[in-house]
Amino acid sequence: MKYAIETLSLTKVFSDWWGRNKVYAVEELDLKVEYNQVYGLLGPNGSGKTTTIKMLLGLLHPTNGRALVLGGDGRDTNISAKIGFLPEESYLYKYLNARETLDFYGRLFGLPAKVRKTRTEALLDMVGLTAVANRPVGTFSKGMARRIGLAQALINDPELLILDEPTTGLDPIGTRQIKDLIVQLAKRGKTILLCSHLLADVEDVCDMIAILYGGKIQEQGKVRQLLELSEKRQITTGHLSDKALGDIEQIIRHECSEFEVDSPMEKLENYFIKTVARAQQEKAKTSGAVSTTQISSFLKNRSGSEELLDKLVSADVSVSEKQDIGANEQAEEEKTQQPQTDESMLDKLTSSDQEFTVETKQVEPEPIRQIDEVNEDILDQLMGSGDTSEIETEDERNRGDFNDA
Amino acid sequence: MMHSIRAVAVNTIRQAVRMKIVAVFVLLLLVLLPVMGSAMGGDGTLKGRLQTFVSYGLSLTGFLLCLLTIAVSIYSLTSDLGDRQIYMVLTKPVKRYQLMIGKLAGVIILDAILLFFFSAFIYSITLAIPKFTKTSPEQIDRVNDEFFTARASLRPAEVDVSAEVQQQFQKGLKDGSIPQRAKTDRDLYGRVIATLTKEAKKDSRSVIPARELLWEFNNVKPANPGDDLYLRFQYDVSKSPHDLKVTGKWIAGDVRKFGDKIDVPIFTYESRDLIRTYQEIKIPSDVIADDGYLGVVFYNDPQLNDTVVMFTEEEGLEILYKADSFSWNFARAALLIFCRLIFLAALGVFSATFLSFPVAILLCIVVFFTGVISGFIFDSFDSLSENMGTLYFYTVRPLIKLLPQLDKANPTGYLVEARLLSWAALGRIAFFMVALKSMILFLVSIIIFSYKEIAKVII
Repeated sequence: MKYAIETLSLTKVFSDWWGRNKVYAVEELDLKVEYNQVYGLLGPNGSGKTTTIKMLLGLLHPTNGRALVLGGDGRDTNISAKIGFLPEESYLYKYLNARETLDFYGRLFGLPAKVRKTRTEALLDMVGLTAVANRPVGTFSKGMARRIGLAQALINDPELLILDEPTTGLDPIGTRQIKDLIVQLAKRGKTILLCSHLLADVEDVCDMIAILYGGKIQEQGKVRQLLELSEKRQITTGHLSDKALGDIEQIIRHECSEFEVDSPMEKLENYFIKTVARAQQEKAKTSGAVSTTQISSFLKNRSGSEELLDKLVSADVSVSEKQDIGANEQAEEEKTQQPQTDESMLDKLTSSDQEFTVETKQVEPEPIRQIDEVNEDILDQLMGSGDTSEIETEDERNRGDFNDA
Repeated sequence: MMHSIRAVAVNTIRQAVRMKIVAVFVLLLLVLLPVMGSAMGGDGTLKGRLQTFVSYGLSLTGFLLCLLTIAVSIYSLTSDLGDRQIYMVLTKPVKRYQLMIGKLAGVIILDAILLFFFSAFIYSITLAIPKFTKTSPEQIDRVNDEFFTARASLRPAEVDVSAEVQQQFQKGLKDGSIPQRAKTDRDLYGRVIATLTKEAKKDSRSVIPARELLWEFNNVKPANPGDDLYLRFQYDVSKSPHDLKVTGKWIAGDVRKFGDKIDVPIFTYESRDLIRTYQEIKIPSDVIADDGYLGVVFYNDPQLNDTVVMFTEEEGLEILYKADSFSWNFARAALLIFCRLIFLAALGVFSATFLSFPVAILLCIVVFFTGVISGFIFDSFDSLSENMGTLYFYTVRPLIKLLPQLDKANPTGYLVEARLLSWAALGRIAFFMVALKSMILFLVSIIIFSYKEIAKVII
């Protein structure tokens, strides 16, 4: 199996009441998503993104062609046990509370009770809904519903994560958290199909993208390759004196005639996050959601949250049906009690991830580094202790070097 | 496999409870049942009061649970489809048939819990009514004998009137009251014979003044040899008496040994009772012959009655004897309601697979009420379709037969008349209503749902 997702001339035609073909939602789509890739499916409304996902998952029957997920049919329970799916809206049972919602989906995967409980609590913590875990999800805001929707998609530690418009309804901070999570999950070997019409989301996290229009792929390729203006160069420096600028201009004019000097603009997303973080630090009153940085803190705090993420990704739940439940529960208990075991499993995962991580870095767009810096600032402000040196990751060290430069 | 079915079933129950669908029905019953228990007086007797309460209480509970079952079973699936929660369920390792079984199981478990609760509630009130009612010891004895029991029934064998009918037919041909073509016209012959048979049977059950009528029963063997028997009958008359009553003189025993010297126990009884109303006479068990024979004689005394007394075919005359306890009969009656609920749950899930909520509700309610009057429906179709023959027999009739025959399996009828609902009878009804009809509906719904395009859009 080379591809996690593969479609062969996939076509979907919607018809009217009389069975007459009316709309070609997807036409002759050949999509190939490799394992451990974050693949972005871009397109305007009605371009066939969601229809493609629904065919992959067996919710729609293809009119023509085939859709293969993890080498098989998306309706096969052995396949769907390895998939996490977040639809374009979180279609939740309004009468269940957040904890019951996750427990329900955990039961559908046949997770043993202890594993379910552990993962439910970990996911609630991860998406920042522990405080409202006993509230019916019908009372949730759209953003909160999106968070619980994301949590349910991760309940089974999926190999493949299909996210349809995951950031819809989220505020910029929530959006950023979801994107960070996607990057982290990708680093841990997950394959992610991200479907969105929000270009910034896709640009920030995806390795590969395909742009759909009219049910057909218009362009596809690696993000950097598609976006890079190879005939141009950009140098970002600290403050320069007029003399230094003049010298540089002379050198550049010697090479080519184009020269432009400007102060770089900060992304609005980063600016917004910084402003809100500052206001939170000053304890400004608000009637809106307050604690919305759980995913960030979860991702940053290696001593606690890495362990949490380890728990989420290391539990072997996809084969739980075949395994003895008692043994599974015992194993999970051991994992919970002995983090060292998790670390060894994580080592195995990360050793194979290294190449992937390097490869990702090659196409990783610059803004991610910039946003991460902002997150560190926010975290320092919000958590009140900027001392994260002991738990600093290699990436963070790299970023530190980058900032210093 | 079981974990997903269980999860869906539990979720279905949660949905019904938390969406307050159940609360409405439960509240209604919790208010109405005690009110009915204290307010309903029936015919003024203790037996009448008990009969009225059990009849209305169990009917109301059964009816409301039927409506609840229809609503929950349909809503559970149509809301999942309409609100699209099903996207997040069917993309998990859940097969579609497992989802269907889970939904059905959830509704059935909910029904079982509610039915158990309310049956126990009605049962408790029923047992409490005599304790909180001022009444005579005779009334208490009467309800113990005629209500708090489960009695089996014996009916006399049909009288063979074919020879008499043929005689009448030949006589009619001779005197010209029957046209000669009745001999060759099969249709006319059939109708004439049917009319003559009806008349002859009526005559065989009619007693003119100063005459008597004998019914013979075989294999009369009560569960407990010392238990009394009950003769249940209804008078009809050719001319209504001024007080609408008939005096009956009854004799019961081994009438085969009647002679100049009667040496076997004989039971005699005389009473003046209302016509066209069920009457019961208690007969001691020692009048039954050793071989289980029992003869019952009615004498129409011309001094007391000046009318022909008739015992119609429908109401007839029967011997009742205790065969089981009221408690077990009540439990079986509740199980009979449960069979209905299972059928309606299967029907609800079936209709929800291809219809929207309002249309599915309409279909199920129509089927339910059709089932309540199924006897009338069947008779109507049979008589209207007489000339359609084979076509009707092989097309419409099997479809009609798929409808539930709820009126033929009325649980309150058994309890009100203290009539035994045997395990065998319950099993027969359960087989046809649950194992056959419900299963067919459910299998069809699984097939429909398995091929259904869940996220289909009609442009």
